Amino acid sequence: MSSIPDRQPSLDIIGTIGRKTVEVVSYVLDIIGLISIALRSSRRLRNKERRKIFLDLFVRQLYNTGVRALYVNGMIAVFIGALLMSRLFYYIPKQVLAEQYGYLFVVIIFRELGPLISGIILIARSATAVTSEIGYLRMRREFQVLNGLGINPVFLFLLPVFFAFPVSLLLMFLYFDFICILSAYSVIWLSDPSINFGVFLGNILRQITLNEIAINAVKAILGGMVIGVISIHFGARATESFDDVSEAISNSTTSQLMAFFLINVVLSLLAYTQ
Amino acid sequence: MPVAIRNLHIEYPGQLLFDSLDMDIADNEIVAVETQVLDGATSLLRGIGGFLRDVGGCVNLNGIDLLTCSPAERAVRVGYVYEDQGLVSLYTVYENIVLPLRFHTELGDDEIHERLSEVCASLKLDEELYAVRPHQLNDVQTRLVNIARALIINPELLLIDELEGGMPAEYLNDIMVTLREKQLANPMVIIITTSNEIIMGKADRVFFIKDHNLAPGQR
Repeated sequence: MSSIPDRQPSLDIIGTIGRKTVEVVSYVLDIIGLISIALRSSRRLRNKERRKIFLDLFVRQLYNTGVRALYVNGMIAVFIGALLMSRLFYYIPKQVLAEQYGYLFVVIIFRELGPLISGIILIARSATAVTSEIGYLRMRREFQVLNGLGINPVFLFLLPVFFAFPVSLLLMFLYFDFICILSAYSVIWLSDPSINFGVFLGNILRQITLNEIAINAVKAILGGMVIGVISIHFGARATESFDDVSEAISNSTTSQLMAFFLINVVLSLLAYTQ
Repeated sequence: MPVAIRNLHIEYPGQLLFDSLDMDIADNEIVAVETQVLDGATSLLRGIGGFLRDVGGCVNLNGIDLLTCSPAERAVRVGYVYEDQGLVSLYTVYENIVLPLRFHTELGDDEIHERLSEVCASLKLDEELYAVRPHQLNDVQTRLVNIARALIINPELLLIDELEGGMPAEYLNDIMVTLREKQLANPMVIIITTSNEIIMGKADRVFFIKDHNLAPGQR
């Protein structure tokens, strides 16, 4: 009787690496594919009636994602702004701080923390909701219903998210930065009420270059699009079982966090490392 | 004949459902397909409507092959009533009913509303339900909304999957009468899967599924 030869552990490792690589590549291709489908489907918006349907859904998504995030985004911005300014007061001599706070504020809040925290809030608040919504719609075979009505589900579910998420993220950046400024000013005002808000704001705004604005816009557009598409991608993979939805949310959130951090880091490195 | 089915072949991996199915259906005819659990009747309806992939043969509806036409062409000709659910939970009842008209036609809001009111009145669908979401409806209401959405496009072919579930006999009778009236106003062929005597009694022809094909049954 011939014995079965032992498998070599090194082959197992190579096999695992190979499988994982294929999984990652096919996942990235799926996401690129969805983005291209969304862009191609945008052509349908030339039709007036369809544009009306789209706009209803877009506004609803924008309200749920961008407008209703004001509360949580604002609260976090209040804490971050106050914390930042109080720490700067503590660590940096007053003379230096008076000259540098505008620059420090832009580097810390406008460039990095604003986009990052807004993105995390978008993922936690809205992207998870979209993933679960799509998962349940799929479980209830509503994609099939739409196909039966001659309506591509991409039009109703992907397009509004694809366009509303970037706009929402941009709005969230704005809230965050503005509320941070107000909160930081409040801390300064408590220690020195003679400082004028206009002067304070002017010092910060002078540090914001066109480049900063462009990079933030790219972070919002690219980040929002990718977060939205990943939500749809994982939601649409749910099949018949309810635990598919929870798994989809978990996988989707992990992927979104990784993708968004990557986008932020790469863009910041490209833009600000000169 | 408005509907000519030729050599229809429906097969899932490892499971042949229908083979070489031929059938002609005249204008304003109601054809009932007597169904039992998991006998493939729903697949037959979906296959005839062109909603399934990889279906062989041809389903000619007034000169258009439903198996090869575009989804938009099909959507304004074929109405489909689901056995359960079948509504888009993103939308209210009103929005669900008017969705095909809003998406596929250029009718104005007033005209769409007029059509909706007329269809809902004929089905005795209460106006109070217009603002309700699908999850708030019971099974009978869900099916009525499904029918209203299918009828609002004035379909040439109406496919109804088991209308009777949970529906009182009186309702069934009323709906069948309404469907007959609709046929007189706008000619359409109705194919309905059912196990209900009332529906079979109201149909012009009854078939049952036998040997991967349809055999004439008794009314």
